[in-house]
Amino acid sequence: MELLPFFEWAETTFLGYIGKTYGGVYATFGQSLHLMALAVLGGSVLVADLRLLNVIMKDVPSEIVIEQAHKWFRIALVIIISTGVFMAAAVAQRMYHNDFFWAKMSALLVGIIFVFAIKRPLLKGSHADLNPIVIKMVASASILVWFSVAATGRWIGFSG
Amino acid sequence: MINEMLVQFAEWLYATGGSRAIEESFYLYNWIETTHVLTIMVCLGMLAFIDLRMLGYALPNVSASTIADRLNVPMMIGFALMFITGLLLFYAKPTYTNQSIWFRIKMVLLVVAFFNAIRFHRHMKASASTWCNEPRAPFNLRVSAALSLGLWAGVVTTGRLIAYDWYHCYRDLPGWLSAAAGCVAD
Repeated sequence: MELLPFFEWAETTFLGYIGKTYGGVYATFGQSLHLMALAVLGGSVLVADLRLLNVIMKDVPSEIVIEQAHKWFRIALVIIISTGVFMAAAVAQRMYHNDFFWAKMSALLVGIIFVFAIKRPLLKGSHADLNPIVIKMVASASILVWFSVAATGRWIGFSG
Repeated sequence: MINEMLVQFAEWLYATGGSRAIEESFYLYNWIETTHVLTIMVCLGMLAFIDLRMLGYALPNVSASTIADRLNVPMMIGFALMFITGLLLFYAKPTYTNQSIWFRIKMVLLVVAFFNAIRFHRHMKASASTWCNEPRAPFNLRVSAALSLGLWAGVVTTGRLIAYDWYHCYRDLPGWLSAAAGCVAD
């Protein structure tokens, strides 16, 4: 499926126009908000996964930590996607030709599938019933995936 | 006077081999910047959870002092890495960064955030035993937590804006802005 026409169209939308025309709006409501949401997402991932790895808050039941962290993960993810769409719309054609953009989108997709199809269903019940090695593997994979999303995101700006 | 001294210092830094090596290396500079962004996730991510706990929005059923104590170590590790990579980024582009109004605002916000953190920890230590199991911290600590979130949002925003040269010295700036940005006559 040819996606270029979609990216060309994205630049002509209202979001694309605002982002392209007003650099201050792009930088603050796009980039800065994206970074702030990334900080919250990073915090929620680390709080949850470092707890699963028994690195922090060993005296707090992991079920409680995971549930609370996930609440903030969802909020941060919505903001990241919204601001990401806004930023990408402004430079959509450049994004289409940027390898790191596609790397980030792939990592993001893997991250979302991982969280909602694997991690959440797995950790829904009592964690005591699960194999500790499986829990540690899930936590390590989660940190790796979300830090890859952030790193590939930063490299979009360095290439293309 | 101080702006002239800062410009001289920045020019001296710029002329050093290390500064040139970092800026001219595509991979080294970009990886330092990437690490700086990743440490935002560690440091500010932990900080956000501590502040949100004080405000009653995160982990309200877990003791506030437990959250602050346990997340403090990873937060400080993240801060140390963020500080080191930040210094290296400044070292790579000292003349440009020194005369960025955004960088200067960022430094002021960092200093205010530092004093706010000291105030927060002092109040926290003095009073935690009386309220730490409550879902929300007392009013003065909630103010500190909200201020902390606001200040760090400002730090992130101004940090991102350093890349933009809208108000740089080679632009036509009003006198006050020119002085604030550290511009000096050629």
